[in-house]
This record gives sequence, C-alpha cells and structure tokens, in this order.
Amino acid sequence: MRWESIMENVATGEARLQAELPMDNDAFAGFYERSARPLWAYLARVSGDPSLADDLAQESYVRFLCAARQCDGEVAARRYLFRIATNLLKDHWRRAKSPSIEEIPEELFAVTADSGQFESRALLGPALAAMRPRDRQLLWLAYAEGYSHREIAEVTGLASAGIRLLLFRARRRIARLLRDRMAGDRRAQ
Amino acid sequence: MTLRACPREKEVRALVLHGQWPEASGAELRAHVDDCRSCGDLVLVMQAFQSARAKSVAAANPASAGVLWWRAQLRRRKAAMDSIGRPILGAQLFALSVTLAIAAVFAVSQARHGFQVLSWFRELPQSLAFHIEDLWSSTLAMPQWGLLLVFGLAAVALLSGVVLYLDRQRQ
Repeated sequence: MRWESIMENVATGEARLQAELPMDNDAFAGFYERSARPLWAYLARVSGDPSLADDLAQESYVRFLCAARQCDGEVAARRYLFRIATNLLKDHWRRAKSPSIEEIPEELFAVTADSGQFESRALLGPALAAMRPRDRQLLWLAYAEGYSHREIAEVTGLASAGIRLLLFRARRRIARLLRDRMAGDRRAQ
Repeated sequence: MTLRACPREKEVRALVLHGQWPEASGAELRAHVDDCRSCGDLVLVMQAFQSARAKSVAAANPASAGVLWWRAQLRRRKAAMDSIGRPILGAQLFALSVTLAIAAVFAVSQARHGFQVLSWFRELPQSLAFHIEDLWSSTLAMPQWGLLLVFGLAAVALLSGVVLYLDRQRQ
C-alpha cells in the first residue's frame, strides 16, 4: 500500500467524521444562537442552580454534536437537545446516591437564597422550588416551552398517556401555591 | 382527583402562548376563564412560566458556539481513535495468547524429551556463526550465500527504519 493511499484514507475518514455531524459549523452556530438561552433557562429553573445549568447546557451541546444523529429539522433537533439536557439532569440527581428521582427530598432541589438571585421576589421561583423535580420539568416544558404531551413524552422518556394526568396534578398544585403566595403578598401590603 | 379538562383550554393556551391574552380574547372567553377553574389555573400558570422564561432567557450568558464545536470535535476524534484501537488491542491480546500457548506446548514437549534444546545451546559457541573468519571464508567460497546474507541484513535495516518511523508517527 502506498503512503499516498494511506493519507487519502485518513482524509476520507476526516471528511466522514465531518459528514456524520448532525449539522455543519455555520448551521450549528445559528441553531445555538436560537436555542442556547431557552435551554439554559430550562436547566436553571428546573435545577434551581444557574452554575449547574451552565455546565449541563454546554455538555448537552457537546453530546448533541457527538451523537451523529440527523434530526429532521430544527424543531426535532431542539427537542432532541432538551432530551439530552433532561437526561443529564436526571444523571446529576441520581449521583446524589438516591435510587429514584422521586424519592429524593424536595428540599435538596429547592432554590437556595443564593441561587434564587434571579427571581427571589417573583412568585414562580418559590412555588417552583416547592414542586418535585419531575413536575418542574413537565411544567416548564408544557407552559414555558409550549410543548405538547407527545413532545414532552419524547423529551422526558415518560409514557405519553401518563403525561396528561401528571401535568394536570402538577398544574393544580402550582396554581394553588401561586394563589396562596399572591394572597400572602396582598395581606402583607 | 378527577381529571376534567375544559374544552376551551386549547383556545386559551394558544392565546397565552402567543402573548395575546387577554387583549385578543373576547369578553365571553374572559368571563369563561373567570368561572372555569381549569382555565383559570392554566392562565395563571402559563403567565407565570412565560414571564419566568423571558427573565431567564434574558439572564442567560451562553458560552461561545465555536468552543463547544471544538470540544465536540475533540471528543468525536477521541471516540474514533478508541474505536480503532479496540480491535488492535484485541489482535494484540490474541497474538500474545497464541505465543504463550506455543511456548507452553514447546516447554511441555521439551520436558518430555529431557530438554534436548539445552545441548544445542551448549554447542552454539563452537558453531560457525560465532567464528566470523570461518563464516566469511565460507561465504566467499559460496557467493550466492553471501548475496543472501547482504540482502537479509539490508532487509533487517530497512524494516527497522520503517518500524522506527511508524512508532514516531504514532507518538
């Protein structure tokens, strides 16, 4: 085998490495510009930790690029990105040495005084902090991102049929918390 | 808890999601939302989440896209190198196990025959190969063997160079 042919194979491998990427550099820059902030908002609000959101958002994009999965349009790519971020959040919570995300006490995920700097006085921050992590995910995806039940099922890996009930209960609970807080604020004034 | 979704939720949801609530809604729909607990919850929760989203999106300070692209490239390359290295490692382990098996068979066979190979090693210093003058004179006597020796040495030198070059390239 000649050296030229070896080098040619290496070059072809390089091209293949590029071709397997879900999008090229310019397309990624545009996609990143449009999706980075909403993804960070999701991670920051659901985790209650902005610095963790920074790390997980970056890792989500790196994994998205490494996945070599061709997404059918930007909407699907975005959904896939949120799915990666959701899985990273779950992994992060699981590392807290608890067998299930549902068994972890809510206080562990509560927005602390330091981390709640971006909305300590607003209504949603404390109400969201009182919710279970999974409910926060569902609520954010449904009411902040506007995802349908099917899309939420795709992002979270939960059964599509169960999303409706889970979301209904979570919405009722957070609405009650919001109303209580609004009433408390009115009384304080 | 009973699950009773209001049939007008879809309509209300679309208006809030597009930031058109309550301006783009009719008086009848607003009156419905005031009376319907499900729609009232929906409006309250959606407005809170939309407002929080807008604030968080404004507060976000994302890293450079180029840095993430570069990190992903590095990770992909490492994964590719690992995937190439795995079969090579497998082949090396296979070669090692075959060599060890042959060595074991050889040792067992020698043990059965009283280690005859040791006597060959004892006679080696007296052999022709250890007396360069005798080897040289015998080579001159048979030129075809001399040519073979030269080609053999050249091949060894060439292969050593190639091995060194490949090793340096790998590093």
